[in-house]
This record gives sequence, C-alpha cells and structure tokens, in this order.
Amino acid sequence: MSTPIFLHQVTVPSQFAPVDVLLEGGRMKFGAPAPAGVRIIIAQGMVLLPGLFDFHAHLREPGREDAESIASGTAAAVQGGFTGLLAMPDTNPPVDNGGMVQSVLDIAAKTSPIPVSVAGCITRRRAGEELAEIGEMHLRGAVMLTDDGDTVINPLLLRSALQYSRDLGILVGAHCDVRELSGSGAMHDGRVSYRLGLPGIHPCAEEIGIARDIRLAHSCRTRIHIKHVTTVRGVETIRRTKREGTRVTAEVTPHHLIFCDTDVGDYDTNFKVKPPLRTDEDRCALLEGVLDGTIDVIATDHCPHTEFEKNRDFASAPFGVTGLETALPALHHYFIRPGLLTWDMLIERMAVTPRRLIGQRPPSVADGAEINAVLFNPAAATKVKRSFVKSRSLNTPFLGRELQGRVEMVMLGDRMLHDASGVE
Amino acid sequence: MKPRKDLLDIESLSVEEIEHVLAQSRPFKDLIRRSVKKVPPLRGRHVLTLFYEPSTRTRSSFEIAAKRLSADVTNFTVSTSSVVKGETIIDTIETLQAMQVDYIIVRHGSSGVPNLIARHSSASVINAGDGNHAHPTQGLLDAFTMKEVCGDFAGRRVVIVGDVLHSRVARSTSTILRKLGAKVGFFGPGPLIPDDRHADIVTFKTFDEVFDWQPEVIYLLRIQMERQKDQYFPSLHEYHRLYGVTGERLKTIRQRGIYIMHPGPVNRGVELVDDVMTYEKTLINQQVENGIAARMAVLHWLQPGTVMREMD
Repeated sequence: MSTPIFLHQVTVPSQFAPVDVLLEGGRMKFGAPAPAGVRIIIAQGMVLLPGLFDFHAHLREPGREDAESIASGTAAAVQGGFTGLLAMPDTNPPVDNGGMVQSVLDIAAKTSPIPVSVAGCITRRRAGEELAEIGEMHLRGAVMLTDDGDTVINPLLLRSALQYSRDLGILVGAHCDVRELSGSGAMHDGRVSYRLGLPGIHPCAEEIGIARDIRLAHSCRTRIHIKHVTTVRGVETIRRTKREGTRVTAEVTPHHLIFCDTDVGDYDTNFKVKPPLRTDEDRCALLEGVLDGTIDVIATDHCPHTEFEKNRDFASAPFGVTGLETALPALHHYFIRPGLLTWDMLIERMAVTPRRLIGQRPPSVADGAEINAVLFNPAAATKVKRSFVKSRSLNTPFLGRELQGRVEMVMLGDRMLHDASGVE
Repeated sequence: MKPRKDLLDIESLSVEEIEHVLAQSRPFKDLIRRSVKKVPPLRGRHVLTLFYEPSTRTRSSFEIAAKRLSADVTNFTVSTSSVVKGETIIDTIETLQAMQVDYIIVRHGSSGVPNLIARHSSASVINAGDGNHAHPTQGLLDAFTMKEVCGDFAGRRVVIVGDVLHSRVARSTSTILRKLGAKVGFFGPGPLIPDDRHADIVTFKTFDEVFDWQPEVIYLLRIQMERQKDQYFPSLHEYHRLYGVTGERLKTIRQRGIYIMHPGPVNRGVELVDDVMTYEKTLINQQVENGIAARMAVLHWLQPGTVMREMD
C-alpha cells in the first residue's frame, strides 16, 4: 500500500459505533483525523473484519495443477477475504513426509500472497496401512495430521497416531466415515436419492465414525478435530461429548449450512460433495451447532475439480465443490443479512478459532493492531460468474448466482492484496 | 400440451401427456397386428440406439417400433469394456450431435446419463433405462397393458414384488400408476425395499399381507443374480419360498383372478413357477407386444430439436 488508506465511518463489529480507521505503515489507528495525501474511502455501512483463515482447503499442487495450484488457490482465497489457510495433504504425491511439507511451504513462499499452513497425512500414501513420519512433518512445520478425503479405517492405527501426535502437540483432523456403510454412495440416502435412483450414503456412516474417533481421542487423553459434520446426530454426539469433557472440536462447511439434498436437482454435479448434502433438518441442526458453540469452525473444504471431471454422470463425477471465493459473501447472504448469524460469531468461527487450534495468533481489528483485515461491503453484490472466479476450477454451487455482499479490500501488513473498489 | 423433446422419466410427465401416449398406443397396436405393419410418419428421420448395457429385448423393441414408423435405425454399439465409468460420455455426445440424428435411445448403467445427453444434444433423447433411476417406456407400456385389462386406474391396487430398491422399472411403473390414480404397494426382502419414508409407499412383510390388501395386479420384478452375492438375501431358494409366486400362491392368485405382470426376462423357479407362464391372467407376453406400440407412440409424440434445453 503505497498510499495510506483512511476508512471513514467504517463498522467494526467489536465497536459500538462506526469509527474512522487509518491504515498506515502496517498498522491501524482508530479515531485519528485523516492526514493529507491519504486515500479516503467513505465506508459507511461497510464492515472491517479481521482476515479470515480457511481451515480446510485443497490446493491440488503438486499433482493436479490443471484443477488448482497454490498460486491460483491462494488468489481465490484472497478474493474471498482469507489471509491464511490450511492446505490439505491429499496431493499427488501426498504430503506424507517432511520433504513434501517443506516443498509445499517452499512453493507457497514463492507463489502465495498469504501464509499457507500445511497439513500432513496420518498414514503413508494416505493408504491407511502404516503411520507416516509424523515427527518429521511436525519438525518441518506441519500443523495438522489428516488423511482427509479418506477415513483411517483401522482404529488401532488411528489410536497410535493420536497417541504419537499428542506428545508432539499436533492436532489430528478426522474425516469420519464408515466406508463399508457409505460404499459407492453418491449422495445422501433419502427421498431424493431414491427418486433419482442414486446409491445413497446413510448418515450412520458418518455418525458412527464421529463417535468412534471421539472415543479414541478421549481414551488417548488428546484432542481431535472433526471435519465437515453434516448430520443431526453427528452434531448431537459432538455436543454431548463436549459436555462430558472430551477435547473435541468440529467444523462445518458453508455448503452444508446452505444447501440440502434437494438442491442436487437434475443431477447437478456441482452439488455432489462428501459428506453429502443432507436434509433441511440436518442443515438446521448444523446452524444451531454453530450458534451454540458445538461447531467451532466454519471451513470451506475448497475442492477444485476441472469442468471435464465434473461434466459427467453423477455417479462417476468426483466429490467436492470450491468455496474460497464464495464463503464470506454466501454466509453474509444467507445468514448475516437475515440476522441468523452475527459478525462476531463469524469472526470467531472463521478468523479466531481456526488459527488458535493450530497455535497461531489470530489477528484483530483494533486500535494499534497490525493490519490483517478485510473490508466487506454488504450493500454491493458478488456475481459468481466465470470472470469472477480466480480458482482454476469452476465447480461452485453458486455459479450463475448473485450473492449479497462483496469483499472490497483485503489488506495484510503494508500490502493491499485485493482491491475491488471501482470494479463493477 | 407443450411439445416435448425428451422422455427422461415418468415423474416430469403430466397426466395429460401420459394419457395422450396411452391413447396413441392403441391405434399403433392395431396397426402392428395387420399384415402390412409400416406407416410413414418418421420417414426421413434417423433413430440411433445407444446402449451401454447389454439388452436384446428393449433394443429390439425400440428398433421394431422405429422401423414400423419408417425411421432409419442405427445401432451405435458401445463396448462396455472400453467405457470406464462413463468418462467419454461427453465426447460421445459431441460425436452423435455431429451425426445429426433425430432421436437417441439410450440405456446406461449410471442414473442421470440420459439427462446429461439431453442437456447437450438437440436430438430427442429417450431413456431406455438408466441405473436405478427410470425406464419410462416400460412404465408407459405397463400402464397401457393395465388399462387394457382393467379399463381404468382409479383405486386399482398393484403390488410390486422383488428388488424395488435397485429397480428403475419399479420407480417408473409405480410413479405412472400412482399418477393415474392407482394404489401401489411394495413387497420384497427388507434390504431391497426402500425406506417407506423415502418412497411414501405402503409396504408388506409377508405374501399373506399382500393378499390381504386385495390387489388386482401382482407385478414381479426380475431378480438380478448379483444381488445375492451382495448379501441382500441369503439364497434364491429362500427368495422363491418367501417372495416368489409358488404353486400354492398361484392357486390363491387364480382363485381371486389377480393379474401377473413381469418386465422380463423371467427367472423361472425364482420369481415364479412355470405354471404362471400358462396362467390365463399372466400378461407378460402382452407387455412385450404393447412395448412396441407404446414405443411407437412415444417416437411419434416427441419432437426432436424443438426444445433445446438450456446449456449450463
């Protein structure tokens, strides 16, 4: 940012009234007058948020650079208001050793505008057979262990991983699924799957997995993070075990909060995700979980796939949708605007908690704080179309839709990472 | 009635459209019983059959129907071994689009493939069976057959017996019959019957319960032999005992004058005993004949290229 920026009367969620904020020299100053030569932005009605952190992003590099790269994925993240993210290890080859962790961090250092944190695999080649070198990955900076995309089928192996990682202080992220139950399912097992004649994924597959993994972590006296919860009973299990004192945390995706199995419509593969979109009842339970603290984190599970891969029959198309660019406007559109979710809650779930869980200091929007902030304009619209998308893949369920609210600026330190002001 | 380009399932059809096709099937059936069986409405039109799953009966039925309407027919053979999980469907569609055919009759093992083709093609797409999803011409020919013997549908009771969960026939036939006012129930081994919360259909636990419901028609589904391997039921022998039309049950059926239907081909000694085939109220062969008439009515009704569906 060559020119300092002065935000006139911007809303800061923690502040009672709109304030003037001066962004200069990498720090923010509240209530100061605008000095000469600054760029003044009339920010009435706009909201200044701390930079978000995505706890669950698939960046595909190395191996599937046709679908995404660290450069394109982080560019998409920035456009969506994220100033940090956790990259999943299911690349090709997977991040299952110290060298791979280092190599992803090296690429990120060269190509990403934002810090990239790295998760490593629990098992070698994500094959679920033998432990990956957890300590080596930890020493190179991996902050989570997960075989995300797959569950660790063998509970004894997961138990070893939990015990081993406990002493290193590295968090285990669990993709909960009883594979024998989910089988070749393509969507939620229910009315819609019956009507469309698609093999279903029964909620039990996930719920039994959640119960198993929490129980194992508790018995190892360690913590565990449950990824993308989708069902009523999954939420209930987490709520109950939290009350019982287990150190479990959980996340939900924006798409599971917004969509249901009925949205699959006419075999739309941009609504094919794993775990699948469930029923409206499940959706409501997830929102309730976010509100009462059962669910700690909202994470995108950004999962890019090429048009060719998605443009197939539903059963053959891969699971996953992109989310980095749309998460914030979508959550505003569906929940903040109608008053179902507050900015404070969103900041907690998307900027503060995810960073805390992996030992990073969350940014804050406060007088004197370092700049790590997003200027969001609730009055503008985000038109989700080809030209908007920075990701190399287009598999977003919002394609063609207009979301109320837009990320205007993303600023990190003394750098302006994204500036949509003036763009129509 | 708006012109319709594709026939993908029964669900999207209006009652008016269904009744139109059933009414049109009647004269076509009279026609094919004549010595000269060919009429000209589809002269100059080209029909292509695209079967990713082996099928002799359905394919022949469509081919005969198309030829009796004077259409040219090409069978596009897709070697199933070279098609790995539908990866080349989009490429195949492009090829077919370039060939400028008017009708594509498709069968595929994966649900929704006809929808995918219809979205990307200006030809009329007729679903000849996709995965567990739909088999709309089967539904139409079944309704046509039932109409012939029962006259109307209001309040008529039909029990569909067998592997309902994996059956596109059950989905399409139950949907069309219910749209027309009939009542439908499902009966079969527990793991092969959909959750009634998903299907909104009455289910039965025993054949006695089926008889107590007093159906006019018992519709037997073909048991796919691989279901047994998948452990949905313990043995074919036991299947026959519990869910098949045994000699004993045939007596009750005969006594009550219940019609028997089956989409074919039958597994004798599994779904039914031999004697069922000669029972005078078995409609299985009538279904085959009506299949040609109903498919002629469908080909005659659809309008290729009139409605290009929105490309995403």
